[in-house]
Amino acid sequence: MLNNLLKKLIKSGSGRIRFVMAIAGLSIALALILSAVQLQANYDELLHSKTNQDSIANFLVINKQVTAANTGSTTLSNKEIDDLKQQPFVEAVGVLTPSRFKVSASGGQHIPFYTELFFESVPNDFLDVQSKDWKWDDNSQFIPMIVPNTFLDMYNFGFATSQDLPQLSQQLVMSLPIQVNITGPQGVVQYYARVVGFSDRITSVLVPQQFMDWANAKFGTTQQAQPSRVVIRTNDPGNPRLVSYLKEHSLSTDADKTRFSKYRQVVNMVVNVSGVIGAVMFLFALLIFTLFIQLTIASSKEDIALLVTLGAAPKQLYQFLMKQFFPVNILIVVIVLLIIAVLQFFAKQYLSGQHIFISAYPSLFTFIAAFIILIVLWLVNRITIKKYISANA
Amino acid sequence: MHIQLQQVVPIPLRDRFAQRQSDIWNAHVTFAEGEWIKIKAPSGTGKTTLIHILYKLRSDYEGAVLWGNENLKGIQPASLAQLRQQSVSIIFQDLRLFDHLTARENIELNRVLQQPFYESNKIDEMAELLNVQYILDQRAGLCSYGEQQRIAIIRALVQPFTWLLMDEPFSHLDKANTARATSLIAAECATRKAGFILTDLDEDDHFNYSKHLQL
Repeated sequence: MLNNLLKKLIKSGSGRIRFVMAIAGLSIALALILSAVQLQANYDELLHSKTNQDSIANFLVINKQVTAANTGSTTLSNKEIDDLKQQPFVEAVGVLTPSRFKVSASGGQHIPFYTELFFESVPNDFLDVQSKDWKWDDNSQFIPMIVPNTFLDMYNFGFATSQDLPQLSQQLVMSLPIQVNITGPQGVVQYYARVVGFSDRITSVLVPQQFMDWANAKFGTTQQAQPSRVVIRTNDPGNPRLVSYLKEHSLSTDADKTRFSKYRQVVNMVVNVSGVIGAVMFLFALLIFTLFIQLTIASSKEDIALLVTLGAAPKQLYQFLMKQFFPVNILIVVIVLLIIAVLQFFAKQYLSGQHIFISAYPSLFTFIAAFIILIVLWLVNRITIKKYISANA
Repeated sequence: MHIQLQQVVPIPLRDRFAQRQSDIWNAHVTFAEGEWIKIKAPSGTGKTTLIHILYKLRSDYEGAVLWGNENLKGIQPASLAQLRQQSVSIIFQDLRLFDHLTARENIELNRVLQQPFYESNKIDEMAELLNVQYILDQRAGLCSYGEQQRIAIIRALVQPFTWLLMDEPFSHLDKANTARATSLIAAECATRKAGFILTDLDEDDHFNYSKHLQL
């Protein structure tokens, strides 16, 4: 009853256009801010979620760029590797240990081929091949090897077709025994090796770390050699800082894997621009809204003064005015959240057609952001109303 | 709740009072709970000023006004509102109705500003007693001064109070209507065991006053 009478006295009709403007501005500002948050959340989800995780993309093999100036001295020093380890975008560094002995391989009686070879090894954590045969000790019958998938592709689709040789399947290659000759100080020693897997990640002939350590000790002719390549694990190969770090230190990696960096910059820019415009609009909308409250109170100044004279408590007036102004804010936030939810749903539908998977619902961060904005709105309403009530009472 | 005036002198009227004897200005006065007090005040002696000081509409005075033990000068807005809702009601000389609300809404507003003292049908009852029942749903701004004054009286009587302040409350009423209004006010004060302070220009015998004072 009291509220009905107060509503008759404190009319907000006087500034209806301002009110509509304030609400429209607030809605657009909120939509921009919250969609910026949602976009960022979607992008983060794409980068880090299991379904989208591209296992290749998270491991990068890094080496120095070979230029005319540094040919022959492309090894990475311990200092350089330590520095790399300290970068925030690097989660782990695996050193590719090079072999320090001469190796050659041949097909034995079965396949007529002979090649000079080298081995490298890397800690198992950095491998993309799972195989039960990937182990070695003194009693092993053969040395397991992992070769790059690109080698086989190169052979099958380039070499074999042009030389009229048979194409080889992965299974076939894995079943072939390969004779490996290692030249040590005491002469040539023969071993058998088998390919146990094909790597998309590391373009090298890999052997188990145990074998490498053992063989380097036994056959090594040179002193401890510095590695010239390392594998890093990173949570985000598209991180522009990673790309710029590599550039600064004249390091190179698969450009393909860091291509996300460019997309990422674009997404960042879109998110930032949307966020900044949203924030600026939010400020202006707040200002208009504040002015609207001020105007409403000012236009009912005399009635408010008489109400106070009759005994209306500042708290009663505050509660009444808060009820007049604040629910609109809640409504705006809810509507904007609904719109974002709908857009997100359709985005999910559309993107899953492209095999990109995002959540069908707005992210928790979007809700948190909406909640924080609601608190800000509440505070601004509260402060403005309190201020102008006490000014007019 | 008693009211104390301790050497109160309104600053704008300070020089005028220097030459004149007053029962109130620059004196120590106590109004005990439930007293019916008539203050006779010729024009220009600060009648309305006194009412406004007592109701804390103005604070430009020397000395102190105490409601109970609370000094009006230091009172917080919330406590002042509480005082006006529960303990003090007022009939202004200039009536002070909301022109664009109806007579009934004017009264109703003061009824529901706090926990209602009376049910809303009491408004019709009182309006009938004062002969204004037929204008209750008319906008207050369109009512005559006499009608507005009776609305203002009813408005003051629908809320709880222990003191009623009245500033020339019958200035626009004829004898018959004044008599009706006084008996209603007397009855309402008696029900609440409330006191009142009435200021007027002349002597009168509207009420059975317990104290006569000269401003």
